[in-house]
Amino acid sequence: MRDSDALENNPHVSRSALEAIHGQVYGWALSRCDFDHATAEDLMQQAYVELLSGNARFDNRSSLKTFVFSVVQNLARSRFRRLSSRLRLVRQYQQESSGAVAQISEPVDTAVWRAVRALPARQRDVIELVFCRELTIEQAAAVMGVSTGTGRVHYDRAKKALRSRLQDRSEEES
Amino acid sequence: MKGSDDKLRERLSQAWARRAGDRQPPFDSTWQSAQSRHAASRRRYRRFAGVAATAAAIVVGLNALTSMQQPTYIEVAELLESTYWSAPSDVLLPDREFDIYQDMPVLFESTEPAGGTLL
Repeated sequence: MRDSDALENNPHVSRSALEAIHGQVYGWALSRCDFDHATAEDLMQQAYVELLSGNARFDNRSSLKTFVFSVVQNLARSRFRRLSSRLRLVRQYQQESSGAVAQISEPVDTAVWRAVRALPARQRDVIELVFCRELTIEQAAAVMGVSTGTGRVHYDRAKKALRSRLQDRSEEES
Repeated sequence: MKGSDDKLRERLSQAWARRAGDRQPPFDSTWQSAQSRHAASRRRYRRFAGVAATAAAIVVGLNALTSMQQPTYIEVAELLESTYWSAPSDVLLPDREFDIYQDMPVLFESTEPAGGTLL
């Protein structure tokens, strides 16, 4: 079946379907590039180019949302592979130079965010995909390129770690 | 367990939303930019393919032209009739033509040094 606004090189993908998940995919792209809006927008454009050109071909084996999330994930991975060490150095420098100021100016509700940031990357990804992007654990595992079993393990560990960290935090505050 | 999951989900969603902020590019502008990038890359590809095809055609044409102009050095009749042959295209071979039936026995029997060595 082909939609009226289906893409020429990707007959199972339509513009309207992409528009419907645009916000969710943008959120995912944003967290892939450390919440830098310009980079996230560029990543989104690149993902759409991949779909338009047919380089990333959707064949209905998963949901479109899972597929587009995977495209963004792969593009982000390949883009930041080379830059990761440089970014790490930049972040380290930023923390060293303005760590004290950042701690003071951070709002109180970033406790949750800090607990999330403390998680290993895969646990953070699975928890974001399931809790914030409304994917199932199976879909999240597919996006991350791991088996469903591994996805479940990451999900459970992430939840446990978050609960204990947030509990510690609330005990400290009380 | 379900209740605590929901609570955690809510807290995380809020934290993520706050971190991401409200700024979200509209779909139309992102889509248009992607389309123009796609069109530009196709144009680049077509231009490159055109240049590559032209270059390949030139190389093939020149090759055909030179092979037509070059005389054939190996004459089958000449080879069959004579006992010596030298490859004229090979510049590394000596200029002197070498007759294996005439020259070889002389060389074998010779005690004269040739090129610093005694044959």
